[in-house]
Amino acid sequence: MDQALELIKLLWPLILLQFILTIAALIVWYRTEETKGEKWVWLLIILFANMIGPILFFIIGRRDR
Amino acid sequence: MSVFVTLLKKECLESWRQFSWFWVPIVFILLAIMDPLTTYYMPTLLDAVGGLPEGTIFEMPDVTAADAMMMSLSQMSMFGVLIIILLTMGTISGERKSGVAELILVKPVNHSLYITAKWLAKLILFLSSFIIAMLSSWYYINLLFDTITFTDWFYMVVFYSLWIGFVVSLTIFYNSFSNKPGLVAAKTVGTLVMMALVNSILFHRLPWFPNNLSTHIGQMLNEGRLSQELWATAIILALLNGLLLFCSFATFRKSTH
Repeated sequence: MDQALELIKLLWPLILLQFILTIAALIVWYRTEETKGEKWVWLLIILFANMIGPILFFIIGRRDR
Repeated sequence: MSVFVTLLKKECLESWRQFSWFWVPIVFILLAIMDPLTTYYMPTLLDAVGGLPEGTIFEMPDVTAADAMMMSLSQMSMFGVLIIILLTMGTISGERKSGVAELILVKPVNHSLYITAKWLAKLILFLSSFIIAMLSSWYYINLLFDTITFTDWFYMVVFYSLWIGFVVSLTIFYNSFSNKPGLVAAKTVGTLVMMALVNSILFHRLPWFPNNLSTHIGQMLNEGRLSQELWATAIILALLNGLLLFCSFATFRKSTH
């Protein structure tokens, strides 16, 4: 447990940025009406493929206009 | 000139709408600081994960500040470049497909201005993200490893910007005669892979080949001086940038008439 805490202390910038990225993708996901493919699949991708998931969603997930 | 400003504004607005201005800097920062941070904390990480038999001794290679900086750059040249290509692949071809390009070009808009505005808008987005990313990695490297002087950092950013510019120009060049974003991305990646292949074969004969830029930058960071090869590579990259942009004007004009 101690060590886990130590790790979080060391790597917090990475964790924080990942967190912001995921939250942003979630907000955009929530507000997007139409996505390419099923919308709920994108939720899984954003949540479980960390870093790559949000990026993929931002690049190819949203249908233009 | 005011037409150009309008076109540029349109491009920047589009980047806003796609949230690129938000997530590209974050992703670039992540890419830039991930490797230096994890390398520095590797002993702690291994310790925490555990599972090593008792008495294992790990020889950690000594990582200098310059090496750490090059780790950031190499992440940029892999995933950073991929993101740049994916975000630029549809800039003209996508507009052609959806008909936006026709809507714009019906008006008395100079074709080369249209392309230059796109090029500049992409460059502003990627270069500012790149600079922010390199600033953060510079901060960590100075903190965790060793000092890298501001001049060295500055030269690194300026020279590497040429490579980013080259990737953008190349993608826009393939854009100028296509209406399939996927194809544009494939061609760009293909070209870069071919260049890397040529470079790995002819590495010793052609020290000024564009792909060698990172190597020369690494050398500069290690030795603290600008080599002649670095300058030659940079000048060639700059010329290639101009040439590609000029070619895209021509092919774009041809393919729209």
